[in-house]
Amino acid sequence: MTILSFLAYAPAIILGTLIVHWLLPDKFTPSILLKLSLGTGLGLGLSSIFYFISLQVAPGRVNMPVLLVILIVALVVIIYFQKGLEGLTPTRIPTMTWMQWGLIATFIACVALSAFVFANYVTSRPQGALDAWSVWNRAARFVHRDPENWIATLSPDLPLLRHADYPLLVPLNVAWGWDVVGNETLRTPMVQAGLFTFAAIFLLFSAIALTKSIGQASLASIVLIATSGIVPSGTSLIADVPLSYFILASAILMYLFTCENDFRLLILSGFMAGLCGWTKNEGLILIAASFFSLLIATSTNFKKALVYYLSGLLAPLAVIGYFKLLAPVNDLVANTEGGLIGNILDPSRYEMIFNSFLSGILKPGALFLFLYLLVLGFGATQTNRRGSAVLGALLVLQILGYGFVYLITPYDLSWHLMTSQARLIFQVIPLAIFFCFSVSMEPEKVFSSIIRRQTALRQE
Amino acid sequence: MGGPVHVKIPKSCKITPMKPSHILISPARMLLVALLVVFSLYSMYQMVFASMHIGDTGSERLDLWEADMQLIRESLPLERGVVGYISEEDLEGVEFAFWDNETEFMLTQYGLAPLILKKGLAGEWNVVVLKEANLKQWLDANPGNYELIKVKGRFSILHDLGTP
Repeated sequence: MTILSFLAYAPAIILGTLIVHWLLPDKFTPSILLKLSLGTGLGLGLSSIFYFISLQVAPGRVNMPVLLVILIVALVVIIYFQKGLEGLTPTRIPTMTWMQWGLIATFIACVALSAFVFANYVTSRPQGALDAWSVWNRAARFVHRDPENWIATLSPDLPLLRHADYPLLVPLNVAWGWDVVGNETLRTPMVQAGLFTFAAIFLLFSAIALTKSIGQASLASIVLIATSGIVPSGTSLIADVPLSYFILASAILMYLFTCENDFRLLILSGFMAGLCGWTKNEGLILIAASFFSLLIATSTNFKKALVYYLSGLLAPLAVIGYFKLLAPVNDLVANTEGGLIGNILDPSRYEMIFNSFLSGILKPGALFLFLYLLVLGFGATQTNRRGSAVLGALLVLQILGYGFVYLITPYDLSWHLMTSQARLIFQVIPLAIFFCFSVSMEPEKVFSSIIRRQTALRQE
Repeated sequence: MGGPVHVKIPKSCKITPMKPSHILISPARMLLVALLVVFSLYSMYQMVFASMHIGDTGSERLDLWEADMQLIRESLPLERGVVGYISEEDLEGVEFAFWDNETEFMLTQYGLAPLILKKGLAGEWNVVVLKEANLKQWLDANPGNYELIKVKGRFSILHDLGTP
């Protein structure tokens, strides 16, 4: 069932990868891992949108793999006539120093161990966390068991805390995955969770390898795997890892735009930002924040950048808008009832939120990374300052957005912070790690004197 | 042989002695990178160890509940719409664990999807999760024209026949 579930998603991944290949500038042609890791999320996001549209026009009657294969064939033809066969030549492994080999070997070992950890968790907790079955897979069952009446999953009769209004990227992929596999196996949500988890890891690796160095990419990815909790979180089968993936992907693509000034990157960045909002409501904060980042990313030609960005963002945004028209009001909004102004004007709430975020963020691992950033960021050459500002702005605005949601929450603030804050902080950790390692000095440079000495000794 | 080698230094190239701060910061950077690798590997070890010693996750109980819900689904004659849910929460004077009750409600909703579960006597068909004595107490407190279908253990289905 695991292989079948993976095969069910394979056409979506191929389609996503082809779209990334088509839109990425030629300079990125050898970055197969980057394309694949971006394509995985893009393909899964796109397939959920296709399935959502199919539910509106022909519920339960669209064969998703066939549709995706048709699109793949069409795209292959387009790419062949536009780009020819470039990029299909095998990538050569670059010459690496002993330290780079050591770091990349450690990274590969960590990935292998992550797969082991992932398997251990999903075996002992196949249904995932409470929210997995009570929110996400519950919604998937509504759609899969009665596609004609899929809208029942948005019923206001469902309890508020079961979040009938949550966006459907994750459950729709599970639902059509079950259609393909032929039963409601838990392996399907597990495979989707695994795809997002490992795509996030490889995305971070490939983006830093492209913009900094292989040593830096390995180091950043080891930190992500070992200290962020991304692997156990992935096995919860909830939407936080997919959201953190899309936040990272959108930010990376905007960062790459600041390096290359190729506007096609903004189409992809906008689309990924849209998928953030199609994954979880917190993703809507990223969409709002991304416009400020776009302003930073473009020194001139903001209008042109905005057009490209919106051309990627509009499709998922339209789907979200239509979905929100059908969905019941979010529990945070539904329960506000006039307490909003009082909450905003209450200074004790600011203090409580600030202190809570401070204690949530300032953990030993994060403190160590702050120190690392301070010492290795200071004096690092070849830093893409504009790109770093984009990442920093996204990070800060996203956290401020979370803070604002807590400020207006109608629920008991301490309860709300206690039950959700850790997950919200987790959503931006991959982005924070990317920021940290895109700013700081590469290990190759830190150890350059030793490496030079070693090389000289070998040459003698 | 043996004479000094003269290297002509271009005027543009200035040789400056390394600042004391750089002499200090360079080993500090090396130390931090090394510490980061060690810290990450230790965290990795902890993660692997934790994954090999996962305690009771409640998945067996969840599977059992799922199996019971399958029986209820087979006994219910409708495939869509709202179904009531009667539990200890609907009994006056009976103490119950709030979160246990809430979890059972969510599990029932998960199992019976796409039926929409609503707390209380909410429709013609209602799922009852009550022990025999509590069920009797509920029936005494809510007289009506009902057909009771026993499913298994605490689970039954209450068919509200309405006023005759």
